[in-house]
Amino acid sequence: MRFRLYHLLTLLLLSGNIACGQSKEPWTQEQLLPTATLAERINNNQTDNLLILNIGPDAVIKGSVDIGPAQEKESISKLKAYLKDVKKDKEVVIYCGCCPFSRCPNIRPAFRTLTEMGFKNARLLDIPQNIRVDWISKKYPLAD
Amino acid sequence: MKPFFILTFCVFFVFGSRAQEKTILKGSPAPEIALAQPDGKILKLSSLKGALVLVDFWATWCAPCVQEQPELKKIYQQYDKYVKEGKFQILGVSLDRKKEHWEKGIERLKITWPQISDLKYWTSPVADAYGIEGLPFNVIVDEKGNIAAINIHGTQLVNFIDRHLKNKK
Repeated sequence: MRFRLYHLLTLLLLSGNIACGQSKEPWTQEQLLPTATLAERINNNQTDNLLILNIGPDAVIKGSVDIGPAQEKESISKLKAYLKDVKKDKEVVIYCGCCPFSRCPNIRPAFRTLTEMGFKNARLLDIPQNIRVDWISKKYPLAD
Repeated sequence: MKPFFILTFCVFFVFGSRAQEKTILKGSPAPEIALAQPDGKILKLSSLKGALVLVDFWATWCAPCVQEQPELKKIYQQYDKYVKEGKFQILGVSLDRKKEHWEKGIERLKITWPQISDLKYWTSPVADAYGIEGLPFNVIVDEKGNIAAINIHGTQLVNFIDRHLKNKK
């Protein structure tokens, strides 16, 4: 009986952790933009209604604006200033790509800022590993 | 049953080893790295031939890399005698983008071993040459310039360096 209770408690704790882990992220699954989709849109010049912002160490992606690492306060101020006059229904895609999502210090503060500012079409570029593996190595369009 | 094991082994071998060892192999010559130090002077990996070299690929934006620096410092201090005799060296290769961040990181972490970078972040040709698909990453280059170990950390790293240096006595 004690054995069963122990397992039940472990299960409850684990499921709680998983649920917490999921709800902790400031973005939803639908707000993740696949790299292949963005690359295709850039290659087809379909970026008129799109803002691509780098919030990591470098603006590697073609046509993206370099805001700087969002873990720094100055970068968040720069992000807010840059988006001040942008319409709230504009599609804004942010990306970092330094490291896997679990270790990235930049994506969360940047995405929270977009949400707080009321951007309805905020997207996070889905870079599971890093910008080298998920963008550069795939020969997706790079900044000059 | 036997074919199943063979198939499993093949799948594991192909996909499991895909990550870091695509372009470099143990025993093969280490690709040359010739990059600038913070003062602008070029330092070549090949100029360290004759010493066992731990090439540490890192960046100030990589938290686990930064966390590993004190461990490298301990290794550097522990084998100081070998460093002075030209038998051991650590070479830090940074994938930073901004020189200011790189220099501040070196200063803050009190790194005393040689540091080089092209400040090209993930577009650095060095990342290509070594097939780096994530940081932290390191290689150990032996006295002849061949790769002796790939991406080992913690106790495994310390034991490898210790064994290698003491066996060379």
